[in-house]
Amino acid sequence: MTGGGGRWRAVRGGAWVVAAALLLAGCAHRDRIVVGSKNFTESDLLGEIVAQQIERRAGLPVERRFHLGGTFVCHHAITAGQIDLYVEYTGTAYTAVLKHVPVAVPDSVYRSVVRDYLQRFGLVWGKPLGFNNTFAITVRRRDAARDGLRRISDLARLAPRWRAGFGYEFLERADGFRGLAATYGLRFASPPIAMDLGLTYRALAQGKVDVIAGNSTDGQIQALDLVVLEDDRHYFPPYEAAPVIRQATLARHSGVGAALEELAGRISDSEMRRLNARADVAHEDIATIARDWLKINLP
Amino acid sequence: MSLWEFYARNSGEVLGLVGQHVSLVASSTAIAIVLGVPVGIALTRRPAWRAPVLGLANVFQTIPSLALFGFLIPLPFIGGIGATTAIVALVVYALLPIVRNTYTGLAGVDPAVREAGRGMGMTDWQLLTQVELPLGLSVILAGVRVATVVSVGTATIAAAIGAGGLGVYIFRGVAVVDNTLILAGALPAALMALAADGLLGLAERRFAWRAT
Repeated sequence: MTGGGGRWRAVRGGAWVVAAALLLAGCAHRDRIVVGSKNFTESDLLGEIVAQQIERRAGLPVERRFHLGGTFVCHHAITAGQIDLYVEYTGTAYTAVLKHVPVAVPDSVYRSVVRDYLQRFGLVWGKPLGFNNTFAITVRRRDAARDGLRRISDLARLAPRWRAGFGYEFLERADGFRGLAATYGLRFASPPIAMDLGLTYRALAQGKVDVIAGNSTDGQIQALDLVVLEDDRHYFPPYEAAPVIRQATLARHSGVGAALEELAGRISDSEMRRLNARADVAHEDIATIARDWLKINLP
Repeated sequence: MSLWEFYARNSGEVLGLVGQHVSLVASSTAIAIVLGVPVGIALTRRPAWRAPVLGLANVFQTIPSLALFGFLIPLPFIGGIGATTAIVALVVYALLPIVRNTYTGLAGVDPAVREAGRGMGMTDWQLLTQVELPLGLSVILAGVRVATVVSVGTATIAAAIGAGGLGVYIFRGVAVVDNTLILAGALPAALMALAADGLLGLAERRFAWRAT
């Protein structure tokens, strides 16, 4: 019996050591900021810019948890406290997370995500960074030139002969394909092919599909000689990028808020496209691109 | 919406996707057996090829599926978008366990048994079909079992290249932050993997007695 008691004491001792270690780990976490990003280049770039800005201005160590599996994973990670902040898009938060019906008015979208995120999740939206990364209905340049395509409404007459390839997000979202097809009267020969977003660019460039929905700030649009059709009926809501941060983190580290504030309105559409192209087309290192950008724009 | 409601409302679509999933796994595993077993047999006859061939099969395993799809899109016949490309990728991933287990199964046959066969005047072909393959069958089937179970999981990636299957629900669920949709795809895939594992496990045991 005494042997059993000794073992039990050892187990309890072990449990205390583990508990103490966890507590220490918890404390360590408080001193550093964990920045997340979604699983595409632009999100990684913005995460890195935000991370370096916090390191420079607030003097806090930053842990990077980049390339997490999309809106879904980032949202769960930040509400669970696994990450402190990441850069989200207003239209995405509005339709995909909050499940609102899409509207195309920038101010009201931003105002309602700010209000709902604070009430429902204890998350604060920072000021928008400046650009709008909207869905880009994209075709090959030679097709556009041949058929005189400029606006999405021009697509309606060609659609019955064309094939479309879309990412799952675009096919599923309330602000995605179904509403677009209804708004512009698009009827394709066959239902759009559902595939991975990154692969749609290759499929378009290789002539396997004729129209895709990319993102307006993607570097591939220029690199693969594609053109974006104008959303002439203003179907898409605004997708302004802005940092989303835990209220608790903001309260504990006032320097972080000030550091993020400096980024407000500093990245235009064309600037973001240029940064994405440096990463995706020229294959430059993300940390280097972020450092260069901060050095030039916020010395 | 609960999972059961979802299934009740979309039963036709669910069955269609399950059918696509089964046919992706069945056709890719069948092709992998047709390619992999002869390669495994060849390795027992040419031991020098063993390291490079198994090394290559190992390398195939490490290619991320999206990268593989990217390479395949421009290729004629085996590429493009749709089921063909997905099956090619699944075959590439299924080859390693089948080739390796075929080799291991045949190489594990007691040399004394093989000698006895040769002593009875058996040709190499007779030795292979009447001695080595029957004795190695349970190990080969174990490889097919691993390949099939892994393929059931991997086939969800077919949805990334327009080939359908249960991955469609998983991709859609991830895209719109919907746990029900993700489960709607993941649950039948998991059940299918368990069923394949159980059935092929039975087959494996059925043929194991000959080896003892």
